[in-house]
Amino acid sequence: MTEPTAQQAVHGRAAGQSRDTPQKPWRAAASLAPAGTDVAGWPSERRVAALARLDESGLPDGADEDWRYTSLAGYGQRWSAYLAAAGLAARPAGIDTRADGSAFSTAGAGHPGTSGSPGTVHAQIVDGILQAPPGAMPRGLYIGSLRQLTPELRARAADLLRKSGDVAPETLVDLNSALLADVILVTTETGASLEAMPLHILIQGSGAPAFSQPRILVDVAQDSRFTLILEHGGAAGTLCNAVTQAWVGSGAHLNLVRVQLLPDDGMLTETSRIELAAAASTHITSMDLGAQLSRHALTVLLAGAGASASVDGLFLADGNRHVDNHTRLEHLAPGTTSRESFRGLADGHGRGVFNGKIIVREGAAGSNAALTNRNLLLAATAEIDTKPELEIYVDDVRCSHGATTGQLDANALFYLRSRGLDPAAARQVLTAAFLREPLGGIAQPELRARLEARLEEKLGGNAAIAGPGAGS
Amino acid sequence: MESIASNPPLLQVTDLRVAVGGKEILKGLNLTVRAGEVHAIMGPNGSGKSTLAHVLSGRDGYEVTGGSVTYLGRDLLGLAPEDRARAGVFLGFQYPIEIPGVSNVYLLRSALNARRSARGESEIDAARFLRLVKEKARLMQMDESFLQRGVNEGFSGGEKKRNEIFQMAVLEPVLAILDETDSGLDIDALKVVANGVKSLRSAERAFVLVTHYQRLLDHIRPDFVHVLAGGRIIRTGDRTLALELEAGGYEQVLAAANP
Repeated sequence: MTEPTAQQAVHGRAAGQSRDTPQKPWRAAASLAPAGTDVAGWPSERRVAALARLDESGLPDGADEDWRYTSLAGYGQRWSAYLAAAGLAARPAGIDTRADGSAFSTAGAGHPGTSGSPGTVHAQIVDGILQAPPGAMPRGLYIGSLRQLTPELRARAADLLRKSGDVAPETLVDLNSALLADVILVTTETGASLEAMPLHILIQGSGAPAFSQPRILVDVAQDSRFTLILEHGGAAGTLCNAVTQAWVGSGAHLNLVRVQLLPDDGMLTETSRIELAAAASTHITSMDLGAQLSRHALTVLLAGAGASASVDGLFLADGNRHVDNHTRLEHLAPGTTSRESFRGLADGHGRGVFNGKIIVREGAAGSNAALTNRNLLLAATAEIDTKPELEIYVDDVRCSHGATTGQLDANALFYLRSRGLDPAAARQVLTAAFLREPLGGIAQPELRARLEARLEEKLGGNAAIAGPGAGS
Repeated sequence: MESIASNPPLLQVTDLRVAVGGKEILKGLNLTVRAGEVHAIMGPNGSGKSTLAHVLSGRDGYEVTGGSVTYLGRDLLGLAPEDRARAGVFLGFQYPIEIPGVSNVYLLRSALNARRSARGESEIDAARFLRLVKEKARLMQMDESFLQRGVNEGFSGGEKKRNEIFQMAVLEPVLAILDETDSGLDIDALKVVANGVKSLRSAERAFVLVTHYQRLLDHIRPDFVHVLAGGRIIRTGDRTLALELEAGGYEQVLAAANP
């Protein structure tokens, strides 16, 4: 990726510093990193190796089949502009001055605050750095930063770092590994039952010209049950490359709710990788309701016998948004089960991309996988590219997949009109119904209300209250 | 016959001709329905019964090639489906549609308020609406939990039909057209549906029951029975005609009409 502005800016400022080629903004970024963001405990050889691989690979572009429909050109340009600004400006204000999160604005639906939902533990990651961790933690749950390890986390940090290093390299993960300013560790204790006490991490861009690289490592210990909410938000101009890696121990359950509510000009690339041990399970809800560009690559590895995964997704590609979801459910062990249902809506000049891959490896006899993707296309100027894929390397499995893209059901529209609803209201009600269904997996009233508000804003009027359970 | 012939007609269908995909299905149909009357339209499969119900409700895909339909003095065929509903026309679907994610109660309130607003009335207040809905649910022997469920979502065939009559009971239409509401019902469900219809019979309201079988008419006594065949009403009588059809089948009646 060539970014002339970055080249000029870096060279203009950095006389006497190492000369970075314009093709390697990561080199420029690494050399510009404020000293305060060095991460104690993050192995420098990982950083070096990641930078070296980036030199080789460059950022993904259209030549890569996985990036056929999504361009990182605008993302690269913003990064270059931020590099230029960071190069010219004094070092950004220290993180500690914003420890309470009060010094930056949040976009869209508003700040959930720390008083959001009773029973929920709130934490914030600002520009990739964990803010003061929550004071009171439920028994059996820990969150902390690699920069300031708590005694509870010290013992498990080494193990998590090792696991995260054993993963096959990927370019955007390398980018994160090369430039991250913090590593956030989340662990549960064996047997802990924490589903009713979710950890809600707000991942935000402060509005400073920063390319943030949040890195979250999650260890859900054997037989524990845990709800993790990862919410992306931030000020205008947010630019983020997030990586979350989770290991779910045998018999454990992870309920992961990922919500992307970035402002209309926000840009996010995100890589999530969840590995399930024997008899472990996960339910993942993924919501993309904001951003200018959002790309989420989700991989679930069903690595232990009897593991099961369930994924519900929703994306809203209205306005000028470009929303790309690549999911990969990989069955590695016998008797594993996956179910995935993704919904998308494109309107205006929006573009949605969905690629859902199911892979059943040789060792995964007796596995079950089902994937559906349903899309609504509300405008001729909008576009959705969908591709479900199956790769099966073993007999004795049951797999199904399918994708549909279309307009609202004509029979349902007529039914509503025959009851007196005008066509616009009928369309609105049906669209709301289509969008609401994936929200079913979100039990937190505060979060759910904000998501519904966002959908309502999209739909206008009171259509969002059409759902079952509401309106009496 | 209880009806009063001097009532002005609610619905006047005159020489109606309708084609579907270029093929003429209704070939000059005449029907006069006055307030207070119950009409049964019977006929063999493919005779045009459902086409008549669909055309009256404004469904797409039906081309009116001749004739007219007047409802309360207005050209019904010129009205959009929602405007027909707001003017008091109700269609009970032969195959009610499932709409997951839209609750029954939401649909009912939207529908009721659309109708009220067309009459220049304000939106119904929440408490009154709830009372009304609960009362009608009891009448139709529907559990109140149905109200919060998605429209017809996961309902059995019988539950769907019952839900249609329930909606009708809440909306209190002027003209109700019930398209094969009795099909797929067991005896108990048939009774519930029939009771729902009977409870709504009034001097101001009329029903057109489109049905293949006579059994619904054991419960709801029609004022008129029409035999529709080949796109036309070939015979009209009182409810004894339905019994005659039941005894001798359509063939006998058709043969008598076309000697």
